[in-house]
Amino acid sequence: MRIQPLILAMAALGLAGCANDPAPNEQLRLSEQALEQAKAVGATEQVPELKLAEDKLARAKSNLATEDHRDARMRAEQAELDARLAEARVLTHKSEEQLELLQSRVKRLRKQLEVQP
Amino acid sequence: MMRYKPMAALTLLALVGLQGCASQRSESALDEASAAFQKVKDDSNVLRSAPRDVIRAGESLARAERLSSYIGTGADVRHYAYLSQRYSEIAAEHAKLALNQERIAKLDLDRQRLQLALREAKLASVQQQGKWVEAQIAALASEQTDRGLVMTLGDVLFDTGRADLKNSASRTVLKLVQFLQLNPRRVVRIEGYTDSTGTAQDNLKLSRDRAQSVADMLVDLGVDEKRIQVEGYGDQYPIEANASERGRAQNRRVEIVFSDDKGKLAAPR
Repeated sequence: MRIQPLILAMAALGLAGCANDPAPNEQLRLSEQALEQAKAVGATEQVPELKLAEDKLARAKSNLATEDHRDARMRAEQAELDARLAEARVLTHKSEEQLELLQSRVKRLRKQLEVQP
Repeated sequence: MMRYKPMAALTLLALVGLQGCASQRSESALDEASAAFQKVKDDSNVLRSAPRDVIRAGESLARAERLSSYIGTGADVRHYAYLSQRYSEIAAEHAKLALNQERIAKLDLDRQRLQLALREAKLASVQQQGKWVEAQIAALASEQTDRGLVMTLGDVLFDTGRADLKNSASRTVLKLVQFLQLNPRRVVRIEGYTDSTGTAQDNLKLSRDRAQSVADMLVDLGVDEKRIQVEGYGDQYPIEANASERGRAQNRRVEIVFSDDKGKLAAPR
């Protein structure tokens, strides 16, 4: 019974040890790709999620430089999804604009057809 | 043995306490992620357009929930809850996009159909109008002569000695413009005539000026200059004797000679 707390403590230490995983180079590459993709469809810093992604990626890189691999991985993972969300939001926004434009055109056409003798 | 039990229990309590404290933030992150996941996982639109993201949202959420039952994993719980929530949001956004695209495709078809209908309606009305104007022109034209179709802007349109067209000419001229717009290959020769008052020299100039003032009006109303020839014949070719005022009024005129629909015009007199 006396050993139980010890085991717990060791397990906790062990977990902490495990956390120091290998450098998340691949994840950083993915995150950067997602960020580029978001910018390619027209996301700017006006999109809050893109700003988040950029900040997190920058922090992930500095974490990588100080060999804080666990934090680097987590931030890069979050940055990737932030960027993907930014991209999706921009695309949705664009489709909404297109939809509105089409709706007004169709409306105008219908009006013209009504006055047509 | 029993002596150590309180010690162990205390340690456990402390750890549980710690976890409880740390997990307050984790718990709310989990709740939010779980709520976001609930919203997308039963939405058939989302499942259809972004199944992979929904699956990943579920996986990350399960991972966060599993980790939350361990001690000292607060940061990981929050991380996976965050990822799960993002996946759910991305999936929802993709569904919105797909829905918009479907509506855009449908509206675009509507638009094409309406455009076609409008074009047909316009064409039908123009054809109708075209026939109507043609009939009007034919009615206005005094004679179908060997010079072709000739329309006379006659008697009351000019005062003696004056070249400017009276306002009463506007309607006729407008019909003429309409006719020329609907028959883009036809060209016209505008011929001016006078009565026999005044010298032949003056009358020649006056008749030319009369024809020119009609031509100017046509150009002002959008007819291409190249489609218009202008001639002045002075007091030649009277259509009535110049003895009466009525006869003279009829001789003060402008005649418009139309080409055929291929642009071929009869030779000038």
